[in-house]
Amino acid sequence: MINRSVESSDIESVMEWFEEGIEDGENSILVYPNLQAFREIYTQYVKDHLLAREQEEQKENEVDNNNNDYYLDGNTRRKGQFLMPRIILIATFYDTVNAVKHNLSAVGIDVQSHIDDGSLLIVDAFDGYYPNMDGMKKLVVTLSERARREGRIGVSVISNMGFFFLYDGDGTASELISYETSLPSKTDGGNVRGFSCYHTRDYENLFDSQKREILAQPQKKLLEVTESAVASL
Amino acid sequence: MVVRLPLSYKKQDEKDVNKNDKALANLLVVDDDSDIAHALKQGLLKNGFLVSVFTNPEEALKSFQSNSKDYYCLMLSDIRMPGMSGIRLARKVKQINPNVKVVLMTSFEINDNEFSKVFPSTQVDGFVQKPVGIKNLTNKILDTIGETKRRLYEQQ
Repeated sequence: MINRSVESSDIESVMEWFEEGIEDGENSILVYPNLQAFREIYTQYVKDHLLAREQEEQKENEVDNNNNDYYLDGNTRRKGQFLMPRIILIATFYDTVNAVKHNLSAVGIDVQSHIDDGSLLIVDAFDGYYPNMDGMKKLVVTLSERARREGRIGVSVISNMGFFFLYDGDGTASELISYETSLPSKTDGGNVRGFSCYHTRDYENLFDSQKREILAQPQKKLLEVTESAVASL
Repeated sequence: MVVRLPLSYKKQDEKDVNKNDKALANLLVVDDDSDIAHALKQGLLKNGFLVSVFTNPEEALKSFQSNSKDYYCLMLSDIRMPGMSGIRLARKVKQINPNVKVVLMTSFEINDNEFSKVFPSTQVDGFVQKPVGIKNLTNKILDTIGETKRRLYEQQ
């Protein structure tokens, strides 16, 4: 288990962990201090990946209009190369799907266009885990295959694990443990980065032994985002 | 020198309830969204209920435990809350007082049948889909707690 802790105000370090701390094929654990912090995290992640792409596309279109010879072979980026971003799946639990869309739109992301082009998927985690816990896994496998087919960089899964505490949180989170331990810490050649996200109040409901079970596989990384000292004043 | 301090919410709320001479019922309201919790409190107080609001379900449970078991007539709680879901909270308060009425609120689409299949051991007296107007919510509460209270409400 590799632990790291950062304050929620340090969003750059959180994003650094998402980008550099976790590789394709890895499943990891994120513990967030409050819903506002979680909203900021997924919003920033989508912004970094999809809004940045929107802006690049716009720039390319401008260059394209002025210079038709811009696209070259060899090492130079060809047109359309960045048009295949990661697929981002957000499985929300404490916010509705519409609330997540609203949060993303509020920072200037054209949510509907990214949903339409298959880069963004927002689902209710309840539907992913109920009635069959493997529903989410099947969805991720489908997305992984589509990402390969479409020549995309990969898939990022930001899944809120609150579902598992809805009815089974009295220290007997057997389904959660069974689910988490079924996720390999690392799949060679995998193109999915999995982020299992826990509200700290849910996570603290687990016994230490249960936390250890969830993180038992070597290399499974955990980022604990703590309440910002500034914010709590 | 005169220093003027704003009245706290609590003082204001108590004043509102006192206007009604007698509260219709004592409600325990739990929602982790503080804006919703505040709006519910204001609306229900104006409709004659005595209301204790919590954004943390564990604190709500402590309040339930620390009062006499029939202190609260009805608990109105959100379902999806971190730390302790409304379902678990409902189970715990029903263990303390099986007669307390429980109405659960959700912004998500979970119908009664599906809910009953998932949580057969949890007895719930009603569901409310958010967003909900105070008038509809008041009617739902009155339907749940009984005809006597409705007559009292209509006499106000």
